[in-house]
This record gives sequence, structure tokens and C-alpha cells, in this order.
Amino acid sequence: MEVLAGLAYGFGIALQPMNLLWCLLGCVLGTLVGIMPGLGPAAAIAMLMPISFNMDPTGGIIMLAGIYYGAKYGGSTTSILLNIPGEASSVASCIDGYQMAKRGRAGAALGIAAIASFVAGTFGVVLLTLVAPPIARFALSFSSPEYFALLSLGLALVVLFAGESPIKAALAMLLGLWFTSIGIDLFSAQARFTFGQTALLNGIDFMIVAIGVFAVAEVLGSVQARTDAQLPSVPRGIRNLLPNWEELKACRFALVNGSITGFLVGVLPGAGSSISSFIAYAFEKLFSKHPERFGQGAPEGLAAPEAANNADTSGALVPMLTLGLPGGGTTAILLSALVLWGLKPGPMLMQDSPNVFWGLVASMYIGNLMLLLLNLPLVPLFAQALRIPAYVLFPMILGISVVGVFGVAQSIFHVGLLAGFGLLGYAMARLGFPGAPLILGFVLGDGMERALRQSLQMSGGDLGILVSRPIAAGLLVAAVLVLIMPLVGRFNRWRLRGIAENG
Amino acid sequence: MKRRGFLVGAAALTVLSGVGPAEAQYTPSRPIDLVVHSGPGAGPDAFGRALIAAIEAEKISPVRIQINHKIGGGGATAASYIIEKKGDTNTIGLFTSAWIANPLVQADMKATVKEMTPVVRLVIEPAVFAVRADSPYKSMQEIVDAAKKDPTKIKQSGGSPLARDAIVRHVLMSNTGARWAFVSFPTGSERIAALLGGHVDMMIIEPSEAGELIRGGQMRALAQVSDKRLSTFPNTPTLREAGFNVPNVPQARGFVAPPDTPREVIAFYEQLFEKLVKSPTWQKYLTDNQFEDAFLKSEETGKFFDQYSDLMRGILTGAGIRVVR
Repeated sequence: MEVLAGLAYGFGIALQPMNLLWCLLGCVLGTLVGIMPGLGPAAAIAMLMPISFNMDPTGGIIMLAGIYYGAKYGGSTTSILLNIPGEASSVASCIDGYQMAKRGRAGAALGIAAIASFVAGTFGVVLLTLVAPPIARFALSFSSPEYFALLSLGLALVVLFAGESPIKAALAMLLGLWFTSIGIDLFSAQARFTFGQTALLNGIDFMIVAIGVFAVAEVLGSVQARTDAQLPSVPRGIRNLLPNWEELKACRFALVNGSITGFLVGVLPGAGSSISSFIAYAFEKLFSKHPERFGQGAPEGLAAPEAANNADTSGALVPMLTLGLPGGGTTAILLSALVLWGLKPGPMLMQDSPNVFWGLVASMYIGNLMLLLLNLPLVPLFAQALRIPAYVLFPMILGISVVGVFGVAQSIFHVGLLAGFGLLGYAMARLGFPGAPLILGFVLGDGMERALRQSLQMSGGDLGILVSRPIAAGLLVAAVLVLIMPLVGRFNRWRLRGIAENG
Repeated sequence: MKRRGFLVGAAALTVLSGVGPAEAQYTPSRPIDLVVHSGPGAGPDAFGRALIAAIEAEKISPVRIQINHKIGGGGATAASYIIEKKGDTNTIGLFTSAWIANPLVQADMKATVKEMTPVVRLVIEPAVFAVRADSPYKSMQEIVDAAKKDPTKIKQSGGSPLARDAIVRHVLMSNTGARWAFVSFPTGSERIAALLGGHVDMMIIEPSEAGELIRGGQMRALAQVSDKRLSTFPNTPTLREAGFNVPNVPQARGFVAPPDTPREVIAFYEQLFEKLVKSPTWQKYLTDNQFEDAFLKSEETGKFFDQYSDLMRGILTGAGIRVVR
């Protein structure tokens, strides 16, 4: 009852004309930020903070949060159309989203992304409304050993979902694990694999690896294959630009899976938003009746990660609003905005500033609806991007990639790195190595190494800490099962063949 | 006689007052570039933006000031950029203690504050030792005693081994002979989550963050890492008051200019920041964020760099970390 009263109070605030306007502005800006690779929501919010400083805190946080979750809607657009992930959390959307576009279903893919984002975004806000305090306490029971186990499960799923050859997937993943160890090591403060380059001391930014291995490699591959005549065709007529019934039906479990996975992973302050979309994708493939369709343009392979990265935003707001603990870069900046307004983020925020808390929560229901209405009509428009001839499109993709990387790192050295990763991605594609496991190894490896070494610091070097804690042990067992499963399948086939031959 | 005296006095005054304007003659003609080593939104960037906002609100700068991000290398990119900008009077860099400490350990970090021209030191960030609200330890002494009895018992969450929290731990451990574990987390919120979840026993935390968690009944403060008690923690003793005779490890922020910047340029910046420090907008920002006002002019800031380097070198060597310069 208390929740309903709070929510009603919140809607009273969020529906005020000015706050509606701020919400709309945030959603529009967020969509734009999401579309542009290199300009992430974190940087955009930081740049807008001085402006929002003069607004009242409720309107301000409504707008800034709109940018945060709006970016997740926009992030899928370039992933689907150009194979350029706009944000770390939309890498998984590239895998099947881009394949759908290549098969002439770009409009359908964009539509599915928008719908999945809306369903999961709203589901996430409902959970945020109902269970914020207890679930925040659950998140605190996770510490380094649990994160290590969770990330091990993530990497085991990578090897499983990467498709034809688990060996090649594992090798690509190991390469990613190596790249992620470049830079100053947190634990010893010593530089690793930097070869005297100060530009490498902070490690390599994720965007450089992702854009290089996906977008640049894709352009190189297309140019080499001289596919300019066979660019993805865009069917005419509005009907063909929106998802059809079969495609939507295929996504129904993906929406549930993505929403729950995204929210739960989002709540964990140490997990970060890129992981939730990968895990949702892997789950979707793991429990699918047609795993062979994944990577070939399966709608559910797009819906699951898109749902997850939207539910994740609400999840990440749980520890931020209930404990003052941001789960990632963007929530950290939202938190510092609250401080600038003179609010005190922490366990007392809900009591001290109910207008901000409930106003924000209510505005997120409205914002998600706005984003759906905003993004669906844009689908046919964006889908036209693929009508652009290859001699314009490919230089444009390279241009966006270079600008995106320069925007992140602001150095030419990193643009050189981008070229290097582009060539690497091209070589891998020629040799039949999948790119996604490399990216996954890169994204998850950093946190995984940290979690392992933190666990050992906690236990004084005793590995037993990883199996003596129930959640960690459970997740590790799941990881082992995931790795064994294909072997069991292979053994079964071999056994059946043996029986057939003998019988 | 009287008249002559007056004239002499007036002449002397003109000469004397002439010294001031002559020194402060430099005024920048184009916007000032304020170099920070973090990306938008992170600590130094947020501090720089708040500072610019205060300068604009108080209208004390003749030209606009803009942020220039030189991200990477734990401050190395920004520091070497400042060195490269030798001769440029429109560029200043926002230093943090990391600019002084990291090059002591990283051989690749060749740009040190020693080569730059010190401008001012602005603030020192205090910190507090905190435990979970239901922790059995009521004082710093109790937790140190427990660590002495069993070196595997107590764990502290913190940042890099060069960060202040790690340094304070080393200082305390060598002072008391106690040992406890240090678990490194890259972000503050992970350090707090580890404490609130009961996975570690204590941490060093920024007072503004601690304040809210204490008010929310999640945390308790045991001691302050500062020279004197903060107004918001009137009942929490400083480490010295709690009986630990250890040097304070200050975490400072301020500005440096490129190498060999002329005296009159430095004088301009000194006056700019002196006006800022006296302004109510800035004072309110310091109170809100629990920063300690620690204004020093160029010469004293240079001395501070030397003292801090020596202190850190001693502590790092004592902690078994290889010091390269």
C-alpha cells in the first residue's frame, strides 16, 4: 500500500508539464547519445550537468535519468544497421541484429529492439518500485568470490554460444583476456604489457576493441568480397519494415529472460551493464530449441540482450537510490549530480527527498512509453540508411568509427590501435574465428581477474574461499556444467552411433 | 616641511603600489585551458567544473576557463601534456596526489610535478576510518588489537596500493606492529559494498559519503584521517587523538603550470585563486563536499611537493614497493 501511495505521489510530480518536458528532452537526448558511438551516456550527462544545475533537482534527475535509459534504446540502432556497437551493452545486439539487417529485416530488427527495450524497461521499473530495499540487501551478499564465479559462468557460456568451434571461441576469448590485462595493474600498481607506451598505461578502451573487431573488420571484409552490389536490401512498404507476428512470437521468452536477467545482474554493484546483455544472450541460446539459428539473424537473439540492457538500468538504480552505491560509470555521475543539487544520496534518500525518489520512478514509466513512441516511427527512417550505396556507406562507417574512438581517447595513437584491431578482426573472420568471444573475454576478463585476486586477498591466499561460499559454489558448478554439456552431447552421439553400428 | 614629507610619502606610495601592478601585469587574452586527467564526470573533472562554475558565479576571471581532458596513464597523459606546453601561459593542470605519487613507482611516467611550475594548492581531502554499524569494534585501538592477536582476522577494503588508504594502513601497521589484509577495489562504491555486505571489516571513506551511511544506520566512524576534527564529525577522534603517533598523509588538489612559466603569469593565477578561495561560493562548495581549505601559493606549493614526495618515498620503501625515482 505504501508503495502505491508513493507511486501515486510520484506520478503527481512526474506528470507536471515541466517535468514531462524534461523527461521528453532526456529521452530524445538519450536516443541521440545512444546512436552516436563514442559519446556514451556518462559523458553526455557530465556535459549537461552544469545546465541542469539551475533546474530543480526533481526535473533535473528526471532529465538526466532519461538520457541514461534513453541511450539504451538508441544504442541498438548502429549495432543493427552498421555492426557498430553504440555502447558496451549493445555488443551482444550486433550478433543477431546485424545478421537480421543483412537479410533485409533491418526494420523488423529495429522494431524488435524498441519493443524489447520497452517491455524490459517497464518490467525493470516495476521491480524497482516493488522490491528495491530487499533486493539491495541481496546484492550486498555478493562479493568478490561470487563475482568471480558469476564471470566464470559468463565466460563458460561464451565458449558454448560462440557456435561451430568451441576451440576457436576459446582461443579468441583468451586473446581478449590478454588484451584486458594491458595497463597498470590495480593490485601491484605496476604496468603490464605496455612496452613503454604511456598511452597504454590506462589499458585499452573497450570501444576501440569493439569497433575495430566488429565495424572496421566488417568493412574490410565487405570491400574484399566486393559485395557492394549486394548490400542488405530494404524492402519497400511499411509492413515489411516492422516485425511480423512470427518474429514477435519467437521473442516472447527472450523478453522474460532478458528482463529478469538484466535486472538481477544490474542490481549487483560490481557487475556492470555489459555483462547482463551477454548473459541474457547466452541463456537464450542455451535454452533455445533452435540454437543453430543464433548468429544467423534470430530475432530472439536480438530481443534477449536488448531487453537485458534496458532492465539493467532499473536494476543499477536500486543500489544507487537505496544505498548511494552506483553500479557503473553512468550511475556514478547521476549520483554526483544529486550531490551537486545538495541532495544526500544514501540510505535516507527515500525518506529525506521522497519527491525526487518517487518522481524519478514514476517518470521512468512515462519515459519508457515516450521512448517507444519516439523510436517506432523512426524505424522506417533509420532503415533507409541501408539504401545508401556502399561507396558512401563504408567510408561513413570508418569515419564514425574513427570519430567515436577519438572522442573516447582523444589521441591519434588510439586511432592507430583501432586500425590494428580492425586488421585483427578481419584476419580472425578470414580464419573462421568468431569476434564476440574476444570482446567478451576483454569485457569480463578484467573484472574476473580482479574478483579472483580480491578473493585471495580476503582469504589470505586460500582458494577454498571460492567453494566454501554457497552462491559462489553454485555458480561455479553451473559454469562447469555448461562446459561439460557439449561433451556429454558429443559422447551421446558417439554412443548412439556405436549402438547403431553394433545393433 | 610638512608638504615635502607628504610628497615623499606620496612618491614612496606610488613606487610601492607600482610593484603590485607591475607584477600582476599579465592578463590572459584568450580562454584558459584547465587540464584534468579524468574523463567527464570522474573526480578531477567534477572538481574542475565546480571550480569553473564558482569562478564564473563570482566573475573573477577576465577570460573564460574551459576543461581540457587529457585522459589516461593514471595522470601521466595530462602531466606530459603540461610539460609539452612549455611557454604556453594559458594552460594550467589540476594536480592530485596521484601526480606526485605514481611517478615514484612507474618508470614510464617521466613527467613529474618537479619539472612543472607550481601555482597553488587548493584543498586537502580528509577521510574517516569506518566500520559496519553492527561491527564489534568500538574504537581504532580495538580493531588494531584484534589484528595484532590474529593477522588473518581483519580486512580493509580500499583502492590501489599507492592510494591514500593503502598508505595510511602501512603507516599504522608499522607504527603498531599489527597486520591486516588489504583488498583492492577500483571504485569507491565497490569498497563500500564490500564493507556493508560484511566481506571486509573496515575502510577509509570520504566524509561526505560516510555521513549519509552513518545517518542511515549502516556505518560507524572510528577515527579521522586529518590533522584536526571535521565539523561534521565532532565526536570522532583523529588518528593522533586516538593514540596513534603517525604522520598525516594529505590528499591534495591544486594547480601546476608548464615548466619555467614566468613569475608574473604565476602571480596572475595566484591572485585569481586567492580571490576564489575567499569567495562565499567556493567556501560553500568546500563545506558541502567536506574539503579542507588548504590554500598555498606557488612557492609553498613547491615545498609541499618535495615534502610529500619524501614522505611517500619513505612509506613506499617501507611497504616493500619498488621506488624508481
